[in-house]
Amino acid sequence: MPMSAHDVTPNRSVLLDLKKKIKLTQSGYKIMKMKRDGLIIEFFEVLEKARKMREGVSADYDVAMEKITVARAVVGEIAVKSAAYALKQEPQVKLGSKSIMGMMVPRVEADNIHAKMPDKGYGVISTSAFIEGAAIAFENLLDTIVRAAEVETTMKKLLDEIEKTKRRVNALEFKIIPELKEAERFVKFSLEEMDRENVTRLKHLKKKGDVEE
Amino acid sequence: MIGRRGTEGNYAYAVARVKAKKSKLLKVEDFDKMLNMSTAEISRYISEAGYNKEMTDLAATLSGIDLLEYATNANMAKAFRSILLASQGNLRTLVQSYLEKWDFWNLKVILRGKSYGLAAEYIRQDLVIAGKLDAEALDKLISIDSTEDILTNFAKMMGMNGQELLDVYKSKNSFGPVEDYCDIQHYRRLLKSINPNDRPSQNFQKYVRTEIDVRNLETILKLKVVGVYGEAVAPYLIPGGRYIDKKTAMQLAGAETIEGASSDIAQLEFYEAIKDVFEAEDMKVRDVVLAMKKYEMAQANKLSHQYPLSAVPVIDYMIHKEIEVSNIRTVARGIESGLSKEKVKDLLVI
Repeated sequence: MPMSAHDVTPNRSVLLDLKKKIKLTQSGYKIMKMKRDGLIIEFFEVLEKARKMREGVSADYDVAMEKITVARAVVGEIAVKSAAYALKQEPQVKLGSKSIMGMMVPRVEADNIHAKMPDKGYGVISTSAFIEGAAIAFENLLDTIVRAAEVETTMKKLLDEIEKTKRRVNALEFKIIPELKEAERFVKFSLEEMDRENVTRLKHLKKKGDVEE
Repeated sequence: MIGRRGTEGNYAYAVARVKAKKSKLLKVEDFDKMLNMSTAEISRYISEAGYNKEMTDLAATLSGIDLLEYATNANMAKAFRSILLASQGNLRTLVQSYLEKWDFWNLKVILRGKSYGLAAEYIRQDLVIAGKLDAEALDKLISIDSTEDILTNFAKMMGMNGQELLDVYKSKNSFGPVEDYCDIQHYRRLLKSINPNDRPSQNFQKYVRTEIDVRNLETILKLKVVGVYGEAVAPYLIPGGRYIDKKTAMQLAGAETIEGASSDIAQLEFYEAIKDVFEAEDMKVRDVVLAMKKYEMAQANKLSHQYPLSAVPVIDYMIHKEIEVSNIRTVARGIESGLSKEKVKDLLVI
């Protein structure tokens, strides 16, 4: 909790309290720093995975678009559209979550993406190899997109978490711990000052007593 | 059910008519020219090559590449129906049986469109009214709500066993088996409509059985790509092939991969036609399909010259017309989508 060093009441119990707080904050700072470093390492791993996934999505997209373009050209828009209308299964996307260093990241899974030609809903005999080729290419693309969605979201969440942790680490390092130390110094100084005043007062009292005697 | 016998048929008249029509079809040079044109230029070019009426009729509702595709389809349907109406006797029976494939196509379009929830006008737009069923009959099917009723009515209109069709649909509650059943039925009915003792028809039968071979090989290859082989392929094979009988088909289907079946495929009578693409390093099923389509077209051409007074020249024209429409669309869509000229040229069946 931010506080001004001079707001505290300088007494021994406050000093003990401050010492405890400093110890706890310093240990929290160490843990947060470790978490930040861990998250950064994790982020770079996910970043590499995301880069590969993006390349995969881009490559699969190019293949799928090339195949659908050729299918539309060779068998026609009507046949391609009609085959699409016949599809029985719709892909289902399931969202879950998993924990990375205490942070919840989404787990994206998809069902019913891939289906064998006889199970798709259109006839095997009359459906052109061009249409089936395009359908398989789009299934692969969807699969890659779903996996990429998980990695990309994890990466973004990790970035947010790193930023948050970095802010906390900086706040501890440059604000909270120095303020607590300053307060500790102030309390120590005040207590010493009070001790000195007490000693002086006692000396004065002793001197006064000696004179009266 | 279509009768196997009828009057002889007006072969001389019909063949003369289709030969005149065939001479007007676009040539290789036309497609070479079209490869250097834009979609608008292609539209103008084909308008001058006989597609003008359909282009004008549909221009109010469609534009660009879609106008071109729908107009060419409409022109093809009109050409096929005019041949059907001009044919008589046995020839008409054969042409009608051959054109039934468009009735089955239309059934698929209606079933798929309705299950997807398309409005009647959009379903109607995708129909190719070139078969036995006219626009009125197809409209009646579109207006029916339940799939079962559509199938029952369709079977009744086509003279098919409605209960069998319904059972096929109910077996998996899916259109896939219905579509395959229809495709198999089309060839069964077509073969049945051909009188094997009639010499011109024998020739036609040869061509149809070659077409069945091509369909079966395509099915076997398509399924191998997705890991379906062996006995699982059997329900999708059309009986009655010329070079690929049931035993050969099952032998081809038996191998797990295309490479595994390559030695059996190499034994096929028409292997020479697909050899180059089949033995290519990056062999693709779609290239083999295009090569087989070219073979099919060459066979029809060859048989039509062997027996000029048979149904084959008529069918040959219809195949060439269908391929012309497909080639126009390939060039236009290919150019519009930015495919290279070489790539588009490879996709053409010429």
